[in-house]
Amino acid sequence: MSTGLWVTGLGLVTPLGADVGSTWERLVRGDRALRSVTLFDGADQRATVVAEAPSVRIPEKSLASPSAWSRTSAMAVAAASEAMRSAHLDPARARVGLIVGGTTGGMFETEGLLARLHGAADHPESLAAMLSHPLSATGERLQECLGPFARVRSLSSACSSGANAIVLAAAWLQLGEVDAVVAGGSDALCRLTLCGFNSLAAIDPAGCRPFHRHRRGTTLGEGAGFLVLERAATARSRGVRPVAELAGWASGSEAYHITQPAPGGELVASLMTRAMARAGVSPSDIDYVHAHGTGTPVNDVVEVTALARAFGREMARVPVSSSKGQIGHTLGAAGAIEAVITALVVSRGILVPTAGLDDPDPALEVVHVPHVGREVGRVRAALSNAFGFGGMDAVLVFTDVRSPPAPRSRAPSNGPEILSGEGAIPEPVVITGVSVLASPSLLGCALIASIPDGPTAPTAPVDLEGALDVVRARRFDPTARLAAVAIDGLLRESRAPVDGTGIVLGTPFGSVDGSAAFMHRVFDRGPRAAGPAEFPNLVPSAAVGNASIYAGLHGQGFAVADLSISAESAFAAAVELVAAGEAPRMVAGSSDPRSAIGERVRSLFFPAHRGGANGARRDLAVMILVESQRRAAAREATVLARVAQVVEWRSDGKAALSAIEPPREGAHEVVLARESAEVDALLEDSSWRGSPRIACAPHLGESDALGGGAIAVAAARIARGSIAEALVLGVSGGSGIAVRLLRPAGVGRG
Amino acid sequence: MKLQGLRSEIKRLLVAELNLKGRDPEGIEDDAPLFGGGLGLDSLDALQLAMSIEEKLGVRIPEGDEARTIFQSVGAIADYVAKARGA
Repeated sequence: MSTGLWVTGLGLVTPLGADVGSTWERLVRGDRALRSVTLFDGADQRATVVAEAPSVRIPEKSLASPSAWSRTSAMAVAAASEAMRSAHLDPARARVGLIVGGTTGGMFETEGLLARLHGAADHPESLAAMLSHPLSATGERLQECLGPFARVRSLSSACSSGANAIVLAAAWLQLGEVDAVVAGGSDALCRLTLCGFNSLAAIDPAGCRPFHRHRRGTTLGEGAGFLVLERAATARSRGVRPVAELAGWASGSEAYHITQPAPGGELVASLMTRAMARAGVSPSDIDYVHAHGTGTPVNDVVEVTALARAFGREMARVPVSSSKGQIGHTLGAAGAIEAVITALVVSRGILVPTAGLDDPDPALEVVHVPHVGREVGRVRAALSNAFGFGGMDAVLVFTDVRSPPAPRSRAPSNGPEILSGEGAIPEPVVITGVSVLASPSLLGCALIASIPDGPTAPTAPVDLEGALDVVRARRFDPTARLAAVAIDGLLRESRAPVDGTGIVLGTPFGSVDGSAAFMHRVFDRGPRAAGPAEFPNLVPSAAVGNASIYAGLHGQGFAVADLSISAESAFAAAVELVAAGEAPRMVAGSSDPRSAIGERVRSLFFPAHRGGANGARRDLAVMILVESQRRAAAREATVLARVAQVVEWRSDGKAALSAIEPPREGAHEVVLARESAEVDALLEDSSWRGSPRIACAPHLGESDALGGGAIAVAAARIARGSIAEALVLGVSGGSGIAVRLLRPAGVGRG
Repeated sequence: MKLQGLRSEIKRLLVAELNLKGRDPEGIEDDAPLFGGGLGLDSLDALQLAMSIEEKLGVRIPEGDEARTIFQSVGAIADYVAKARGA
């Protein structure tokens, strides 16, 4: 049996080498790339050992300003370029998607600047270096150097980002939205992560030794890993041979603790079981596991507990190893780099080792591959684990295409057969709840529908008094606090079950204020002053992790970044996962508290969004419940609106909008986050040009969450009967996302 | 007497540094367990507390099992800090 998703190209930059060949050779040999940090001054760090990647040159043909480049982006371009070359993939001749996972983006290039801005946001210093900072900057550099990509998503689920990029790629391919996806992750070392993991006492001063009796933590590495994934039929028609098959995957959240894994490993075990079921294999078919294997005392114990739970007696047979003792923990790239390694293990029949394992922990009952690689001839199927802060975990299964495991019945998929059609939604998707948290407090559906008729929201901060359990939320940053309250309101109003419900939030810049405060302390008082409770809040997915724990949501979780269409990008990702049958329902939204440095950064990226007619900045969080129509009907949920089309573009918006169906009979509106000349130009040639227009900025104020506000307002107005149909249009400097919403079938006359 | 003042200082530090809103520092018992049941603190609070004690009281808390003993209660922390300062 086959999911029909093939890996046809691989690319790597790791501390062992700047391509697949050199990395693989040294991996199998057992080489370790761990040494004292040279990239920056490691003085006064608790542990200084890291794994640095060879320096990668910025492509000469790039027209982007040098300040828009980060080491993260340079490594990403090198690895993605190798993957595309090896797959003979030409994005000019096919619809190719791009999904980039990461955590730090341009942090290395900007952490000094951020520290100086702390407490002095109006510092006269140039902010140009911030162009490299957003998670989405890497996608933009890839688009420029290797595109055109038809669809781009930048995501973070902390240390499982690279694996979740591959899970989302599988959804895109199942939906038929694209012919191939370049998916992976990239993350560069920086002071912030070294200080942060040191503050958590999570780094082994002697270097990462997974499964070792005396292991004391991980080693931070850096690098990039990318895979080209495509449907088997597409690859065959292109005459391209597969490296391996991506046969199974599963992703979910522990909803337990922001840094500690749940001791029983239940969620991880269930993800492994689900990923194997998806692949149509059982533990007896798995010939290798690439463990997450960070080398922290607790990770390795919990992971082995979870493996034993999922594999039962087969644990005595299946070899398990972790490459982190050789390349370190590459954070947002790790899930992708290790997916590349696992695909190579399957393709080459050679197991990679756990280096440094001279004294295995007797408490861990594992079949090890110590020191050097082991040639086994055939690996029928292999599994790769990736776990992240907030308990956001993902598991991938790769199988050998030449000699796959004996066929057996596959787990029934919730997903549709492979379909195609621009922006078509195969598994009907509906909106079953909206919540808007604006000053002074939470708004329900009726009030959201009347936002365009109402006065401008007060500029006072949102009052969370009484709405938040302040002890449980004691470590939340303002973004997570707003998100937790808005999600709580959404779940109460929509009566959605927590089981299987996931979260995807859009955030253009992550936690710039938190990162600035953290780095200010580090530069001011030294690395030992780095705050362990603050550090986990600095990953872009922190609010997702904290909110999933607060609300007890176990579905898939990640953050996406796409500048001023980040909230729309989150909505699109949620629709993709639900439409592909990957999730029964997802909370999609954005949470954006006002902040001094955030304000300054926004003025660099979105100079037109400031004040004036668009209104001053305000605290805003918006949450939308995106659900499969089938699931919504089964639980007799109130459906607010049906998601008819989601169309996305990276350059030619007019062409993309021509795929949007014209409004039908009945009242209809174009709902915008904010008016702009770009929107005017796009609508001019569109079949929606005559529709009444509503902009949310004058009513809700300016915010990075405003695009989510526009979708929520449109859904609420359809639900309240004000209109039968809406087009929500979000634009961001040539890119955009359009969402067409309809009155649900069986409600009113539309 | 000196130990009593140190205990109060640690209680104030606990509430402020761990952001225990609404908690009265003086209401924390000297020998109440801080983790698990007790105050409901977790391992990340322990790391934050160790960092704060080092910064504010000038005493470095060792890692691992030793820290677990020191962090049993406010009283135990005060004893450790007093001893470390006296040494």
